[in-house]
Amino acid sequence: MKTISFVLNGKKTSIEVDDNETLLGALRERLGITSVKEGCGIGECGTCTVLVDDEPHYSCLTLASKANGRDIKTVEYLSSSGVLHPLQEAFIKSGAVQCGYCTPGMLLCAYSLLLKNADPDARDIKEAISGNLCRCTGYIQIEEAIKNAAEICKCDR
Amino acid sequence: MFIGQDITRVDALDKVLGTAAFAHDLKKNTMLFACVVRSSRPHAMIRKIDTSAALALDGVVKVLSHKDIPGENLFGAIKKDQPFLAEGRVRFKGEAILVVVGVTEEIARKASGLVDIEYEDLEYISDPFLSMRSPTLIQDGGNLLSHRKVIKGDAGKGFESSYVIVENTYSTTWIDHAYMETEAGIGYTDERGHIVVASSTQNIHYKMKEIARLLAIPPEQVRVVQATTGGGFGGKLDVTVEGYIALAVYHTKRPVVMRYTREESFLGQTKRHPLYIEYKTGAEKDGSLTAVEVNIIGDTGPYISYGETVCLRAAVHATGPYEVPNVLVNSRMFYTNNPVSGAMRGFGVPQLALAHESQLDEIAQRIGMDPLDIRMKNALKRGSLTATSQVLNHSAGLLETLKGIEPFWRARRKQGPGSGFGLGCMYYGIGNTGISNPSSCYLTFTPEGRVEMHSGVCDIGQGSDTVLLQILCDALGMEEMGIDLVRGDTDTSLDAGSTSASRQTYISGMAVCDAAQKMREYLEGQGYYSGKPLKDICREAAEKGLPVFNGHFDPPTTAPDPETSQGAPYATYAFATHMTEVHVDEVTGVCKAVKVHAAHDVGRAINVSNVKGQIYGGVAMGVGLALMEEFVPGKTESFDNYYLPTSMDMPEVEAIVVEDPEPTGPFGAKGVGEPALIPQAAAIVNAIKDATGVRMRRLPCDIERLKLALEKNKIE
Repeated sequence: MKTISFVLNGKKTSIEVDDNETLLGALRERLGITSVKEGCGIGECGTCTVLVDDEPHYSCLTLASKANGRDIKTVEYLSSSGVLHPLQEAFIKSGAVQCGYCTPGMLLCAYSLLLKNADPDARDIKEAISGNLCRCTGYIQIEEAIKNAAEICKCDR
Repeated sequence: MFIGQDITRVDALDKVLGTAAFAHDLKKNTMLFACVVRSSRPHAMIRKIDTSAALALDGVVKVLSHKDIPGENLFGAIKKDQPFLAEGRVRFKGEAILVVVGVTEEIARKASGLVDIEYEDLEYISDPFLSMRSPTLIQDGGNLLSHRKVIKGDAGKGFESSYVIVENTYSTTWIDHAYMETEAGIGYTDERGHIVVASSTQNIHYKMKEIARLLAIPPEQVRVVQATTGGGFGGKLDVTVEGYIALAVYHTKRPVVMRYTREESFLGQTKRHPLYIEYKTGAEKDGSLTAVEVNIIGDTGPYISYGETVCLRAAVHATGPYEVPNVLVNSRMFYTNNPVSGAMRGFGVPQLALAHESQLDEIAQRIGMDPLDIRMKNALKRGSLTATSQVLNHSAGLLETLKGIEPFWRARRKQGPGSGFGLGCMYYGIGNTGISNPSSCYLTFTPEGRVEMHSGVCDIGQGSDTVLLQILCDALGMEEMGIDLVRGDTDTSLDAGSTSASRQTYISGMAVCDAAQKMREYLEGQGYYSGKPLKDICREAAEKGLPVFNGHFDPPTTAPDPETSQGAPYATYAFATHMTEVHVDEVTGVCKAVKVHAAHDVGRAINVSNVKGQIYGGVAMGVGLALMEEFVPGKTESFDNYYLPTSMDMPEVEAIVVEDPEPTGPFGAKGVGEPALIPQAAAIVNAIKDATGVRMRRLPCDIERLKLALEKNKIE
């Protein structure tokens, strides 16, 4: 066991973790953040995506100890100011949510994309979510939502 | 008006916030973790089970076998034939044998690995052709599960008078549902002593009854709740974790959680039926179909699940959505020692669409007719007779879907070598085949003056909760969505039947309309429609007890004739036409679906955004079926070797919604869930032919298979 400290959704957090514990396990079991989902456990599906220093990572393949000193964001961060992030609004409005199991991971990938690229084209959006599987939507309304949110974020700037 | 509007889904907010409680997320204090010990052999007698090492592990609470089942150790959606826990014999690799219960997931999984099982192998019946010849019987009654025939007219005579006859064989493989959320649930005993199970499921009332049988307790003492469910597609219709959880709760008296790993989900759960299809089509010189003869041989695995259902549905849909005067279909399902094949989006119809759509293109080519024209010529329309001689009296919008596609088809231009276009059509009977499949619901009021809808419908992500609320609002003539939804709980709802067969909008939608009609009459009497506030009506009514209005609907069907399957197996049908543009890289064998136009006759689109979502998702699954998905028994274990379409594999999709209203449906609606998938693989295969000249008759057309076919074609 070792103690790690990191910023979780804007707040300093310290927890004890096992040496071989995944970040997915630590977030879900120790911190109760169940928005981070397990879909495959081997880094193929992306439902466990979290942002480490604003970059998407599969938390099922990331050791919890690697979070030490880093900035970790889960989907809770997007609405931490008390209002929905434009991406969340757009996901709702565009019909981007069906079963919802991939949704938190998709939102985080999209958020990370928009930080780096305020004006993504269709190809950029496809690539940004290409590591995240969705079995329900065929991705189209997710991509529309990201595009619509990008427009709104640009206007807000 | 709420119908036809893109009303925001009622579940979307919780899902974007990450607060929706999926089965994987449910917890209870002092809960235990259970996992399943599975067979490592496809067919064997169990000679000895040694659980001593598992039981000796610190933290292991129980190891349960079939001997610990107080009731009946058999389950099944159609017939009870599959053991919850194997008794002396296993019939597929991955069959459940024991349940290990531990204080943590880690301990339970570790202990399950410590169980030592001694097997004596039996002949592994690896395909239906071996099954039909082998003296080894997988089930006592023989290896043939089901044989259904469709006989209409005289196929032999039809072929005699045909100008052209095309005869080919097609085959498909196992497909995994691959919902993002694996099977999971939690169980506990409530303060009344009832067993409660909350799980990821498509049908709560069915599972309630199965648990009651398993534990030999009355169904009233079982409560099943649908947790937020991360996809279903048919795979969560059969009992998955629910029985094991209930059994563990029964024996430990503590809350128990169970979650399948992805590997377990692949290994233990049902698949799409692989079908082998011999198909003979005859036509006149002008393209009119004269006769169709189809021989379907299916691999259903060792237990029934939905094998009989698929056998029959595949047979009655075998001609595709065309008028064929002479039809002979033989559809047979054989037991094997492969994974149990069950319900998966389309129940055999996507496999048949591959065949009938390929055949139609070949006929068109032989007589020099345009593929769209031959479809228009033969399309079922109002007044047509189907293959089961059912007269289509009402909603039958296939021609409208073809007309919706027509401008794009006529304007198509190949973008250089490797570019091609293909068409696929389908029809699909909404609801179960030729049997009663009712739905019930009830409505009441809250004392505060809101309408309360009690629904047993499982929304598995497709959006039925929202659609049923839209239907109710319009049926009541409400201007605001002043409705509370009480859902997915056997304690508070009536049986709505399964979320399957694209039936919930149509059948449960009608049950809601029925209840709404009664509530409306009541409200009329109370003066609601002349301006009296609902609040006042409810306050007054609350003193005497708030009234309850039951709704019910069972679609009118007739049982298929046992010899010929003639009859009206469905009350209504959905129709669709897809057109797909592909690009095939002839050097690598990579086929990319580039653009899809998908026109669907849904009767009435209650929620256009939801309808489009189903179409896009169906196309994605069709791309997977056509080009990449293949479960290989004994080999496929994870997403490492089972490929799902990603955003990069997805074509651009233009959805065209056609509305030919169905008079027996809610505001004219039918269904779209399965239809969205059905014609897509066929359209892709036809486009590959157009692009390369190569006719692919076996799915998936993955890189290796397509490359090989292209090379062979060059040599020939």
